[in-house]
Amino acid sequence: MIPLHGRAAWIGYGVVALAILFIVGPTAWIFLNSIKYQIAIYSGAWVFEPTLDNYIDVLFSRRSDLVHNLWNSFVVAGLSTVAVLVVGSLGAYGVHRWFRSRLFAKLLMGWVLIFHMIPVITLVGPWYLFFQSLGLYNTLLALVLTHITINLPMTMWIMLTYFNEVPTELREAATIDGCGDFTTFRRIILPLVGPGLVSSGILSFVFSWNEFAIALNLTARDTATVPVAIARFAQQFEIQHAQMAASSMIAIVPALLLMVFGQRFIVRGLTTGAVK
Amino acid sequence: MKFQFATAFAAASALAFAAAGPAAAQAPFADVGKHPEISILINSSPWFSGFEKAVDLYEKQTGNKVKLDVTPYGGMLEKARNAVRAANSPYDILNLDALWTIEFYEGSFLKPFAEIDQGFALPAGVLTFEDSNYWNAQRRWRTRDGGQLMGYSPNGNIHVLYYRDDLLKQAGLQPPKTWDDVSAICQKLKNPPGMYGFVTRGEKGNPIRYDWTPFLQGAGGSIVKAPQDGDYTVTINSPQAKQALDKYIELQKNCAPPNVGVIGQGDVIQLLATGRAAQGLAVIAAWSTFDDRQKSAVVGKINTAVVPAFAGRNPGVAIGNWVFAVPKNVSAERQRGALAFSRWFLTAGAQRAYAEAGGIPVRSDTFASDLAAKPEFRWMKAYLDSQQFARQELGYAEGAQVEAVLGLRLNQALIGEMSSARALNTAAREIEEIFQRGGRRTGKLDALPE
Amino acid sequence: MKDDFLNRTFRHWSMWPCLAFLLVLSVYPVLQLVPMALSTIKITGEGTFWTYSPRRNLDLLLGDAVLRDAVVNTLVFVVLSVAIEMVLGFFAALFIACMPRGRNFARTVMILPILLPAVAIGSMWKLMFNYDFGLFNQMVGVIGLDPINWLGDTRWALLSVVIVDVWHWTPFVFLILFASIETLPQDVLEAGRVDGATAWQMISLIILPLLGPALAVAALFRAIVAFKAFDQVYLLTSGGPGTSTELLSLHLNRVFFEQNQLGYGAMLSLTIIAVIVATLAVGKWSASQIERKRMGQ
Repeated sequence: MIPLHGRAAWIGYGVVALAILFIVGPTAWIFLNSIKYQIAIYSGAWVFEPTLDNYIDVLFSRRSDLVHNLWNSFVVAGLSTVAVLVVGSLGAYGVHRWFRSRLFAKLLMGWVLIFHMIPVITLVGPWYLFFQSLGLYNTLLALVLTHITINLPMTMWIMLTYFNEVPTELREAATIDGCGDFTTFRRIILPLVGPGLVSSGILSFVFSWNEFAIALNLTARDTATVPVAIARFAQQFEIQHAQMAASSMIAIVPALLLMVFGQRFIVRGLTTGAVK
Repeated sequence: MKFQFATAFAAASALAFAAAGPAAAQAPFADVGKHPEISILINSSPWFSGFEKAVDLYEKQTGNKVKLDVTPYGGMLEKARNAVRAANSPYDILNLDALWTIEFYEGSFLKPFAEIDQGFALPAGVLTFEDSNYWNAQRRWRTRDGGQLMGYSPNGNIHVLYYRDDLLKQAGLQPPKTWDDVSAICQKLKNPPGMYGFVTRGEKGNPIRYDWTPFLQGAGGSIVKAPQDGDYTVTINSPQAKQALDKYIELQKNCAPPNVGVIGQGDVIQLLATGRAAQGLAVIAAWSTFDDRQKSAVVGKINTAVVPAFAGRNPGVAIGNWVFAVPKNVSAERQRGALAFSRWFLTAGAQRAYAEAGGIPVRSDTFASDLAAKPEFRWMKAYLDSQQFARQELGYAEGAQVEAVLGLRLNQALIGEMSSARALNTAAREIEEIFQRGGRRTGKLDALPE
Repeated sequence: MKDDFLNRTFRHWSMWPCLAFLLVLSVYPVLQLVPMALSTIKITGEGTFWTYSPRRNLDLLLGDAVLRDAVVNTLVFVVLSVAIEMVLGFFAALFIACMPRGRNFARTVMILPILLPAVAIGSMWKLMFNYDFGLFNQMVGVIGLDPINWLGDTRWALLSVVIVDVWHWTPFVFLILFASIETLPQDVLEAGRVDGATAWQMISLIILPLLGPALAVAALFRAIVAFKAFDQVYLLTSGGPGTSTELLSLHLNRVFFEQNQLGYGAMLSLTIIAVIVATLAVGKWSASQIERKRMGQ
């Protein structure tokens, strides 16, 4: 992009600062709650005695499996993201390359949209019975498979827009140079749609990381993911805001790290592919 | 049956006050034998840690293993339904909110205790919360009269009135006995926004329906005429119900914060715990917050009383209990394991351990024991005194639909979108339609003048 | 070369994986909604009993006292939230992409809200909106105004719910647009600058048209997810006070889940899908009208 200068730059920085304040303000406020005792949260106090008790409680108390939940979430979100990127970009490329402007392509892309519109509570019942009958209830595999499926529509649509942007000449040139279909896809096309893979990867990861309804239905204590664990702090007659804030803060950190490194991993994987 | 309850409690309480002290009987635990590991679906809640400690004690005493799947409250119904609808339930004991039990009883998803063990009987003095753990399939009603024992309560929530002991004493006031007392205390002590006179939930849905129920019952009103006899004539638009709603709205308008229409449990606890409310109507489960220094600015200053009454009437106390039940689709061996745990858990010894660890026990003799005399258990007397007035509502298959209607119309009356008479008339019409669709014998009272 | 085989067969198998997932996990639950919507369903320990009753479900739909409010509120909620998110997300992406330094930091910070679980967002924002103790009324108090009844006043409640949605989901729009802006062809932008285009001309004549597909995908998916918004609104207001924040998703949850009315619930699900499709069609049509007008200029 074109760097801004002079007055425009000041306006730009002003807008960015405001946006960041709007986004960060509430997040910082949640962080403050994580180091308060519940009574300080209740009274909305700005002067309070900071404490790490909430973090200690959610990490180490007997009742807590948060570390284990984090591991489950890490496995599910990680695996399902990698898989949905592979499955989704292959599918979108197929639609783009071989089924373009055909009825089938339209039907498929329409179907995934309709599927995406279905309220999740009507899905979880059938899915629970399906995985139970396969003996996959209470396994991370069931969760990985369902998360791939729910993230497929978004991934395919995002990737399709990126594939459509790739100039046709590039592909034709590769074919003339003797590259086969797969080699062209892997060595020429994919490196060009890297930003698309990164953004759909980040979004799939985040959706899987925070997905609650399916995880609740398909898991039990050993396989519960972070959102299910955090929802336990919203009890019938009492919300434990302090613990909820602390565990939410803890859950953000690995997600952020994974996204930063995962992004590099994707970009590097693509560029080494292109160089070879 | 009600009479039996009342006398049992009266007798038990009398005994308790006579025998208070270390000499109170430490009833033994039961020896229930060796059983395979069982798994319990249970929600996180203020009483969970007490339950967990009781389970630890069970494992230690018997060597039997118990797995607890602690689930968010919002996910309990889904997981319980999944469990009973599948070929094999992953759970051997399900914790069911009393409002959901009808679906599970009527769908015959559960194993009656007598079919697991002919000889199983609830110990005397175990609270049944209006027989919420019995099911009479023929009458489609929860009653021990001709009904089968389907489970028992691990926890019984009822309403109590919370009040600021210190403030009332300072002002020379007695704890309120009637809603007019509540009004008078509110007028004396309120100083908003620093101090509200009275708070309770007004949030749409279950919150307002449940927290208004003590007013309805206390005024002598009801939702339907005699559901226990199959008479589903809708009586929600009676003059008594209107009196109850008007009183509720008057108190909310005069004493509570301006956002009454969305006040939920969290807000009620927040206002009481920060010392910004002088009185509040809430369930006993909220208690654990107020004596906890990390959560409360009013430690030791709050006390409980039986829900206030309308002058010259008995108070209304709404039950919101849980029921432990055993699904049909688990092996006989595990069903016996579940029953063994239940037998142990209902012993006086286990109930006492449960109470001491922060649970709300379900044996009347535990409430009447020396525990009740300790300051940290000062809520026990009001709880026990309330039992004789405690009533279930919505004990029919259409309960959730009726609650949705009431939850909306009451809330609209509270925020002034419609008059109380119009809200009740509308609700009556809608509830009658629900029962008509369900094929019940129904009808409704003449509309209130709007 | 081992790629030979893959090369020869690629056009045949590239679609298989995604078709397999969709066939196994999406076809059955989606198609099942149709017979469900036409029936009354009773699940018991003895089995599941279906009664064909399309009339009954249709009557329920037509006689549903809160459905109309729910449709109107949902449309207002979706249009307001998505419009604000698109505008904010676009400008945030544009300006951050133009920053000479700190882009990665800004991007990381901008996506914080979508990392938080919905239950935490709902509970924490409820505290922030609290009348007596909340952050916002504290701020309002500092300015010297009277406290605002954010969630308890029927005039404010839907707007408050929109604010939370905007905070939560602007990062989604931002992420998609930021990636697209970074891959805009530099030569075209450079040419525009050399020709002396003003900032506004750059945006409206060059950047927006180039971003067309990304904008469409962001709006499409944002709208679909907004139609299904549930957890936060449920925790903030439960659809109240009155029906002021009642949404289709909340109503569906009540019918399908709390009341266990599977048949009518399926009918409501199909209604929601129909409303989404209709809205998207209108959105697409108006976008094409705008496009045509611009081309005509």
